[in-house]
Amino acid sequence: MAHKPAIQQASVKIRTMPLFCLIPSAIRTVVLAALMLALMAGPANAQSPEQHAAIRLVAHPTVATSWLNRDTTRAIFAMRQRTWPDGEAVQVFVLPNRDPVHARFAKEQLAVYPHQLQLAWDRMVFSGMGQAPNRVSNQLEMREKVANTPGALGYLEREYIDESVHVISME
Amino acid sequence: MRVSMSFQWNEGISIACKHTKWFWVSLLAIYPFAPTWANDSMLDTLQVHGFLSQALVITDDNNFFGNSSKNAGSLEYTELGLNASIRPHSNLLVAAQVLSRRAGGETSDAIPTLDYGVVDYQMVSNQQRTIGLQLGRFKNPFGLYNQTRDVAFTRPSILLPQSIYFDRTRSLGMAGDGASLYHEERTQAGVFRFQAGVGKARIEDDVDLALGLDRFPGTLQAGSSAIGQVRFEDNSGRFLMAVSTASANANYQGSQPPLDNGSFQFLPWVFSLQYNHELWSLTSEYALRTIELDGFNPGIDQKKTGESWYVQYTRRVASDWQWLVRFDRLINDRNDRSGSAYEQSGLGPAHSQFADDITVGVQWMPRPNIMLAGEYHHVDGTGWLPLNTDASASETSRHWNMLLFQLSLRF
Repeated sequence: MAHKPAIQQASVKIRTMPLFCLIPSAIRTVVLAALMLALMAGPANAQSPEQHAAIRLVAHPTVATSWLNRDTTRAIFAMRQRTWPDGEAVQVFVLPNRDPVHARFAKEQLAVYPHQLQLAWDRMVFSGMGQAPNRVSNQLEMREKVANTPGALGYLEREYIDESVHVISME
Repeated sequence: MRVSMSFQWNEGISIACKHTKWFWVSLLAIYPFAPTWANDSMLDTLQVHGFLSQALVITDDNNFFGNSSKNAGSLEYTELGLNASIRPHSNLLVAAQVLSRRAGGETSDAIPTLDYGVVDYQMVSNQQRTIGLQLGRFKNPFGLYNQTRDVAFTRPSILLPQSIYFDRTRSLGMAGDGASLYHEERTQAGVFRFQAGVGKARIEDDVDLALGLDRFPGTLQAGSSAIGQVRFEDNSGRFLMAVSTASANANYQGSQPPLDNGSFQFLPWVFSLQYNHELWSLTSEYALRTIELDGFNPGIDQKKTGESWYVQYTRRVASDWQWLVRFDRLINDRNDRSGSAYEQSGLGPAHSQFADDITVGVQWMPRPNIMLAGEYHHVDGTGWLPLNTDASASETSRHWNMLLFQLSLRF
C-alpha cells in the first residue's frame, strides 16, 4: 500500500517523457516474447543420452596419468587447475560452446552446463586467476591437436578415437 | 574527442606504471624460473584478451552515470579492459589487466589503471586439492560477482545489484596489493574453495566523497586490508554457497580542526546462495556492511551497519537469449531504516538512506563475442545513487526510473 503513491508518482513523471514512455513498453514486449519462447523451447531440450556415442577423455600419448576423478576433471576444464596430478602442465582443448558434443560432455561427464563453463572461463580470464582453454572447431581437429600437443587434454566420441591419443578413464 | 582520448591513454600508461610496483616485485620472485623462458612452448601459452562495453543510461529523475535525465540520456558509462597472461612454468601463471572505466564523473576517470597484476604459483595440484598463492595486485573474491564486476559478459544484467555492488566506495573492495592464498578441496559432498588475502587496500577519491571528507583538506591513507571467502559447490554442480568478509582500513591525516587524525574501517560480510538449473538460475545475496570512523571528534565519530540483499531469477530462453527479474534493497543504517532520524538531524533527505530497486532485463548474444542488453529499473530511494559534487542530495527525487542499453564486445 505504501508503494501505491510511489507508482502513481512515477507514472506521472513517465507521461511527461515521451521517450521513456515508449521504450519500457518495448522492453515489456521483448520480455513477453522471451517468456513465450522459453515455454516453447523447454521440451525441445530434453534429449536421451542413450542415442549418442559415449564421450571419452583423451590426452597426448606421453601423458603419464591414466585416470582422473570427476572433480579434478571439472577443475581442469574450468581452468582452475593447471597441471596433471604428476605436475606436468595441462593444455585443455574444447569444442565450440554450441557444439552438441561439447554440451553433452559438460553435462554428462562434468555435471556442469556449457553456460556455467563459459562463465567460469570468463571469470578466470578477467580476474587474473587463470587462462582460457584452447578452442578447436570439430572432433577431427580435436584429435589432431591432442595427439600433437604435449600435456593435452580433450574429449572425443568413441568413433573418433584412434591410437594417436591416450584414453583417460574417469572415476 | 578522439585526440583527447588517445592523449589520456598515453598519459594513463605512465600513471598505471606507478601502481605496478608490487607487480614488478612479484615478477622478481619468478626469476629462478628464467632459464625456461626461452622455451617455445611457454610462448605458446601467451594469451591476450579484452572487452569493451558502452551503455546508454536514461533516467526520468536523478542522474546516474552522467547527465542521464537530460536530453537523450548519458553515454558516460564505458568499460574497456585488456589483459595478457603467460605460463612461464607448469605451475606458474603471470597475468595483468589494465582497465579504463568511466561511470559519469570526470573524463579523467577513464585513465587506464592496473586492475590486477599477479604472479600465481600453484604449489599443490593433485586429484584431491589445489593450493596456490597470488602475489601482486589481486582481485578480491567478494560475493559472487566482485572479481569481474567490470566485465559485462560475467554480469547477469547491465548493472549488478547496486545494494551490494554499488559504486560509492568501489576502490576499497576491488583489489588489494599484497598476497592471496587459495585452496580448493574436493570432498564426497562437493568442492570447498577457500581464499584469503592480506595487503594494502586501494583507496581513491570515491571513499573521501562517500564519507563526506572531501570538504576537508586532509587525506585518507590506505591501511591494511584483509579479505576471505569460503565457497561450496555441491556434487551435482547445482548448489553454490559462499561467505565473504573483508576488513579495509584507512588513516585520515587532517591538517586543521574540526578534523584531526582519525581512522576509518570498513567491515562487510556477504552471504551468497545460487541454484543453477539448465534453463534458469536463482541467486540471492545478503550483506552487512559496518563502517566505523574513530578518533576524529565526538561529532564525527560514528559506527553504523548497513544492510543489503537481493533475489534474482535469470532464465535462459535459448542459447543466445536470457532475461532476468530482480528485487534489490539497500539500507544505509539498520538503526534508522527509513532514514527519518538522518533527516531530523539535518544531514539530508530520508530517502538518501535506502533504495528499493525492481529490475527487469534481457541479454542477447548474437555471436559468442557480442552481447546486447537492455534493462529497466524502478527505484524508490537514492541510497546507492553515485554522489555527484554538483548536485546535493536534497535535490534528488525519491522515486525514479532508469532505462539502460548496452553493447559489449570481447575477444
